[in-house]
Amino acid sequence: MPSSAEPVRSQPSGRPHLDVDRVRCSGHGICAQLLPGQVRLDEWGYPIVVDAHVDPSAGARAVRLCPALALRVGP
Amino acid sequence: MSIVDLIAAAGLTGRGGAAFSTATKVSAAQEHRARLVVNACDGELGAAKDGWVVEHHLAALVEGARLVTPPGRAVTYAAHRGSAAARRLASHGLPVLEVPARYVSSEESSLVSLLHGGLARPMTKRTPFVLGGADSAGRRVPPTLVLNAETVWRVAQVAARGPQWFRASGTAEEPGPRLVTVAGRVARPGVQETQAGVPVAELLRAAGGLAPDVGSVLVGGLGGVFLTAAEAHAATWSTAALRPLGASVGPGVLDVVDPHTCPLLVVDRMLAYAAGESAGQCGPCMFGLPAVAADWHELATRPSRGVHDRLRGRLGLLPGRGACHFPDGVARFAASALRVHQDHLGDHVAGRCDLVRSGERALVG
Amino acid sequence: MNEWLWYLSRATGISSILLMTAVVGLGAVTAARRRPTGQRATIVMALHRWLSLGMLLFLGTHIFTAVVETYVSIDWYAAVLPFSAAYDRVWVGFGTVAFDILVAVVATSLLRHRLRESTWRAVHLLAHLMWPVAIVHGVMMGTSAEPLLRGTTVACAVVGTGLLGWRLTATHADRERRTAVLAEEWS
Repeated sequence: MPSSAEPVRSQPSGRPHLDVDRVRCSGHGICAQLLPGQVRLDEWGYPIVVDAHVDPSAGARAVRLCPALALRVGP
Repeated sequence: MSIVDLIAAAGLTGRGGAAFSTATKVSAAQEHRARLVVNACDGELGAAKDGWVVEHHLAALVEGARLVTPPGRAVTYAAHRGSAAARRLASHGLPVLEVPARYVSSEESSLVSLLHGGLARPMTKRTPFVLGGADSAGRRVPPTLVLNAETVWRVAQVAARGPQWFRASGTAEEPGPRLVTVAGRVARPGVQETQAGVPVAELLRAAGGLAPDVGSVLVGGLGGVFLTAAEAHAATWSTAALRPLGASVGPGVLDVVDPHTCPLLVVDRMLAYAAGESAGQCGPCMFGLPAVAADWHELATRPSRGVHDRLRGRLGLLPGRGACHFPDGVARFAASALRVHQDHLGDHVAGRCDLVRSGERALVG
Repeated sequence: MNEWLWYLSRATGISSILLMTAVVGLGAVTAARRRPTGQRATIVMALHRWLSLGMLLFLGTHIFTAVVETYVSIDWYAAVLPFSAAYDRVWVGFGTVAFDILVAVVATSLLRHRLRESTWRAVHLLAHLMWPVAIVHGVMMGTSAEPLLRGTTVACAVVGTGLLGWRLTATHADRERRTAVLAEEWS
């Protein structure tokens, strides 16, 4: 079975979890800019969430600036 | 005992492929007064068991639906437009949700969307739709439970014969009788009743056995994995036993691959089909699947280390990045194709394909 | 003092038009069918939000000084009730309409995560009405004695129209593929 590019929801690290609504996402790429090292983009510009546990304020900023309103930060 | 207690004691899990606890879903449905959709679509390639249940056990199916649905809540039967199941359900006066002939349209959230006036395309799952939810545009959908037709039939059986009867078949972790469709290059393709723990060789034998030159068996269709004929002969039909091979019982489909057709061509066609079946909602799927299909085609016609590595890389980026698990299934399918057909790929690298039938289009470039 | 208020009102008016054209333009290129990605997209989105804040400050001052100064008669309620001013009823009224729409756009944007996406989108699209209405207000309220101010407003009109045209015509891969698949059989 091919390994997932994105981490499975494992033990909580205390930081909130970034969630992408893949239907809303249209590849603006702002999230990768604001969360470098945690989100990178594939060859078509769509996010690969390498580390979903985000700093609360950085995560909130990404949620605010996503033009497609595709991001959510949850517990 | 309530129906939830009976189902829980029996250990019934979904027969549509995901194998989720049916008791948990029915309990939530009753708590949220959800309406029911019985999924009789046979959505996976080669599947026929849902239609078989509709054909041979319709009364029990209707009874099972009645048992799990809160009073006053609607029951709808989902079947592909023009299918025999749709015709039979309609001719018995049952409410039919006609599903378009698209691969992802029989997925749970696609049916929920279609039932409530939307398109038959998957929706992002924030919370289970049995609790009610909304699509990505914010349109609300009421609580809706989707159960596979075989699962609903089994509910009626458990209610009639008791949980002990159910647990007398199968294994402790995967109890109860289950249906499997054997398709492809066998003398007697069709639906059989079996149980977890049975040797796969027995299922194949009941369908007429494998010809000696059969190279591979596809377990689980486009969302499943290839096994070599030897692996299939040695395997046991249970998810626990199939897991080391990367497979699961899934929706119960065993497709014996025609030994006289180039397997790379078989996969080429299936990946081209998959690319055209994207619901066009999520970037990684709507661009990734056509790219993977093109890579495979190039791998079969002009193989190189480069295209092989590019294909592997792209397959690794499909899982978990869409609203549904269609791209996950295709990635699993293609990766298993690379594994199982290594030798034949070698033939293509050498510029020949011994399996080209006269008139059959060859993939060798 | 009054003359000072009168000049301030006109100065903040022209600043508001400049900022509004910039904000609407930045929004247009983000929504456009060919649009910036990555770093550029982030800058565009951040500017779109920050400049709208700046615009509110200038616009607030513009409305405040217009009401308070005594040279012409514009009452408080004329700031929100269109076509109710004693002075230049029609053209002041255009300004009021634009301001009313702006209040709705800003309010729904601040509450975006609590609203249904389609609601937010419908109100935000009214910006396409708000901006030309504000431009007309700016052009008609100016006098021919100040060609620079009127010229600036006209320049904003030209640039803004170009950006809105861009929004409607250029394409990008995500939109094209979605549209193509949507045209297939799905029900």
